[in-house]
Amino acid sequence: MKQELKNKLDGLKAQGATYADARWYPYEDSNQLLMWNGNLRDLTSSSQSGVGVRVLYKGAWGFSASSDLGNIDQVFQKAFDNARVAAERVTFPVRLAEKDAVRDNFSSPNQVDPFSVPLEEKVEFLKKLDAALDKPGVAQRMCSMEFTRKQIVYLDSEGSEIEKNIVEVFPGIRVMGIDAQGGMQSRKWMPGRQGASRGWESLDLEVFLRNADRVTLELNQLLTAEDCPRDQRSVILLPGIMYLQTHETIGHALELDRILGYELSFAGGSFVRLEDFGKLRYGSEKLTARADATVPNSPGSFGYDDDGVQAQNNLLIDQGILVGAITGRQMVEEANARARRPIFAGSSGANRATSFYRVPIERMTNINIDPGTDGSLEDIVRHTEKGVILDGDKSWSIGSNREQFHFATDIGWRVEDGEVKGVVKNATYRGSTLAFYNSLSAVGDERTWEVRYVNNCGKGAPNQIMQLGHGVPVCRFDNVTVGE
Amino acid sequence: MNTVLDLLKTLRACALEEGLVMAIEYHEEDSYLTRFANSAISLNTSEHLVRLKFTAFDGYRRAEYGMITDPKDLQAMREGLRTAGRMARVAEPLSFEPTLPYYMKDVVDERAYDPALAGLTSDERLAFFNTAAAGLETEDIKLSGIFSNGTTTVAQICTTGEGIQYFRVTDAKITVVLSSESQKWEVNAEQSAQKKSDLDAAALHRELAFLARHYQEDEPVQLSLGKYRVVFGPAATAEVMEIAAGYGSSGGAMRRGYSYLKEEDLGRRVFSPLVSVSDDPGIPALYGRTADRYGRDRAEFPVFKEGVFQAFTWEQDDADEFGRTPTGHDVDQYSFSVNPGSMDCADLEALAALPRDEDVLYIPYIHYMNIVNPSKGLVTGSSRFGALLLRKDGSVNIPYNVRLTQAFADFFGDGVRWLSKQQVVYNTSSTYGRRNPVALRVPRFLCVDGIEISHSNASY
Repeated sequence: MKQELKNKLDGLKAQGATYADARWYPYEDSNQLLMWNGNLRDLTSSSQSGVGVRVLYKGAWGFSASSDLGNIDQVFQKAFDNARVAAERVTFPVRLAEKDAVRDNFSSPNQVDPFSVPLEEKVEFLKKLDAALDKPGVAQRMCSMEFTRKQIVYLDSEGSEIEKNIVEVFPGIRVMGIDAQGGMQSRKWMPGRQGASRGWESLDLEVFLRNADRVTLELNQLLTAEDCPRDQRSVILLPGIMYLQTHETIGHALELDRILGYELSFAGGSFVRLEDFGKLRYGSEKLTARADATVPNSPGSFGYDDDGVQAQNNLLIDQGILVGAITGRQMVEEANARARRPIFAGSSGANRATSFYRVPIERMTNINIDPGTDGSLEDIVRHTEKGVILDGDKSWSIGSNREQFHFATDIGWRVEDGEVKGVVKNATYRGSTLAFYNSLSAVGDERTWEVRYVNNCGKGAPNQIMQLGHGVPVCRFDNVTVGE
Repeated sequence: MNTVLDLLKTLRACALEEGLVMAIEYHEEDSYLTRFANSAISLNTSEHLVRLKFTAFDGYRRAEYGMITDPKDLQAMREGLRTAGRMARVAEPLSFEPTLPYYMKDVVDERAYDPALAGLTSDERLAFFNTAAAGLETEDIKLSGIFSNGTTTVAQICTTGEGIQYFRVTDAKITVVLSSESQKWEVNAEQSAQKKSDLDAAALHRELAFLARHYQEDEPVQLSLGKYRVVFGPAATAEVMEIAAGYGSSGGAMRRGYSYLKEEDLGRRVFSPLVSVSDDPGIPALYGRTADRYGRDRAEFPVFKEGVFQAFTWEQDDADEFGRTPTGHDVDQYSFSVNPGSMDCADLEALAALPRDEDVLYIPYIHYMNIVNPSKGLVTGSSRFGALLLRKDGSVNIPYNVRLTQAFADFFGDGVRWLSKQQVVYNTSSTYGRRNPVALRVPRFLCVDGIEISHSNASY
């Protein structure tokens, strides 16, 4: 199959393509289990295979994909025909940043392939969790686990040949209950990075049971809690919400395709302009953010992106100043040309596709906030006069240029004069991105830093979902509107 | 069609040979998308994918195996259905016995299939966009957008009966965006099509020209926070109503405590008497199927009638679990139709020309809407794409984007002043997974008093 694909890539070059690549997925398997109130409501497995072909012709992209591997010729021809029509409307001919041809492979770290674990064992794990969540006050309890494994063979007309074998594990627990006013309250836990690998061995039942106890206790506290105050105060974001804050207002805002207007018809743009790189004060000096696809154990680490560029660790924001973006090969060339200065030295290796049947686009890797020097959560609380600690993403809505946002969280703890005063429910906060990050007044140290996973990041047309990670510490922001 | 039916019959025979009790669903998409950005085609793509879903039943046990596969690879498909059977045998029993699908008759539903739209070419998509944006692009104003069209085939068979259900539809969604590179404003015009004759590039051009002229000529303003009379466009109305009626009327969601509608709301007026909504599979443009996944015939299902909540929808599993009667809603999409009102207002020019005794904020589109509090039906989102502040003196300002965090009752309750008598179909499809056309028919405009703006941007 590989040789056949190589031959066909050569054929596209002979037809006039300036570049072409093929991604063949011999397999992509998934397995999902959802136990809801003791019922195994979802027991689903799936497999898919196919090939996607991307062609650059006269400065324009064409793409085609099919699961019908008996008809590969047609996939290549359709991709070329699509590029040929696209070339009729070109304003900035696509150029690709330089890269070396690579022959390599990458395997995500895992010791026990979750697909080798008997179903009965997985169900048993869920039953133990379900029993641990079955407590007074809990009206709905859910435990889930999702496993994926895929093999991707990447070939391009520049001579690269890369094979990737990636395994992911996404477990979680959630409880819901009805408060005294008839409102639904919920609390959930999705583990951060556990150990150095991401196979079945990363599911530690004891850790899950401890957190099951914690979330049921916190749910019961929510059922009798007061509403979150409606005022302005400091918010102390735990990793369970800080990861999403980072995702939505640093990660998406710094995708170079958004900045260049390539997502305007759907996902949106960015308030960031090319002239901002190297100058814009994105946040206070306590804010340092990076795109680190080399974190050893996270869905945002993948060896090579779908341009065939090696994974990297790059600064995005350095002590508050914007210095980098999330890029692929195409966008850095266009950005440098439009800015008439070399903002970007090359691709940052972040062009990724969700599957064989989608085209790669700029995607987050692990968008992390460096730990700070303000100590533990307790240290930060001790130095907070009037605030609220927030955790757990409940809802999120962000402006189309990522310039403002509104988040609701599962739970809050009111802080007055350096002390935690009790749980509050229906907590929300909102703000403007730059003002918010410039109000960053405390960043927890390494003890507070956790890698959180995202397995459902949506973007693009046609739509794609992507898996990635965020390593974040506890952060405090001042003068934030809460409770709306 | 015959190829698909033959494949399903073969797979059914395989399942019976294996001694399996099983429902088999075939999904085929032939998708095309031309994407524009920065006044160029940024991507021209097509995907042809065949998916199979095997749902195996074993008394109280159930499991599912899905595949994206080569439709000629019978061996792989046979292994797929065996896998589903193996999984069902070791699954944990449910606390209720799941109902088996049963198709007692053949159903062929191609009312929403148009061969002309199915055969649309890349050149035609490009020509459409060129017409829609003709003369509107400048050095600063760039064209973006998507032209997505495709054919979706779904066919279902099960081992409990010999009937086959077959549905084939065509759909298209066009979004044309003009944006100022220097100012960062953006306006759009959208169109949904179920057949080729629905396509009207000239109508999109008229709307874009109107908005682009105002965005270039009129003064932008930062709105003060507070309550406004708001006219919503079809995208905003459709997306809010899709959640209000869809998740709100789900019996399962209600019983689990996360719907804003409660059992005692049945028969009560929860919205304005001007608001009537039904799920109507009889309208081909809304892609409704004539039978659901369990073989039940489907008919118009009123959800709100003159503001009074009529009925919860019950999917089979929820009905099995809570001892209710299913309502034929085991489908991939509902087909909500919001009744028109009496205001004669066909387009933006007519809206701008309507006499008004106070300022009116026009919000065509709500970006990134999410549910803040499900029990209260509280949602939040931001304005985007071509909002206008229509001053009572007849002048127009361009409002920077604003955020609204409001309950469904704020959108559709007693604040409703009028709905236009003109309706449009709005395609709300999302294609994160398989192609699944979804559309609502809504009034072209919905005017509501008392919508609160909680955040207002200081610039584009």
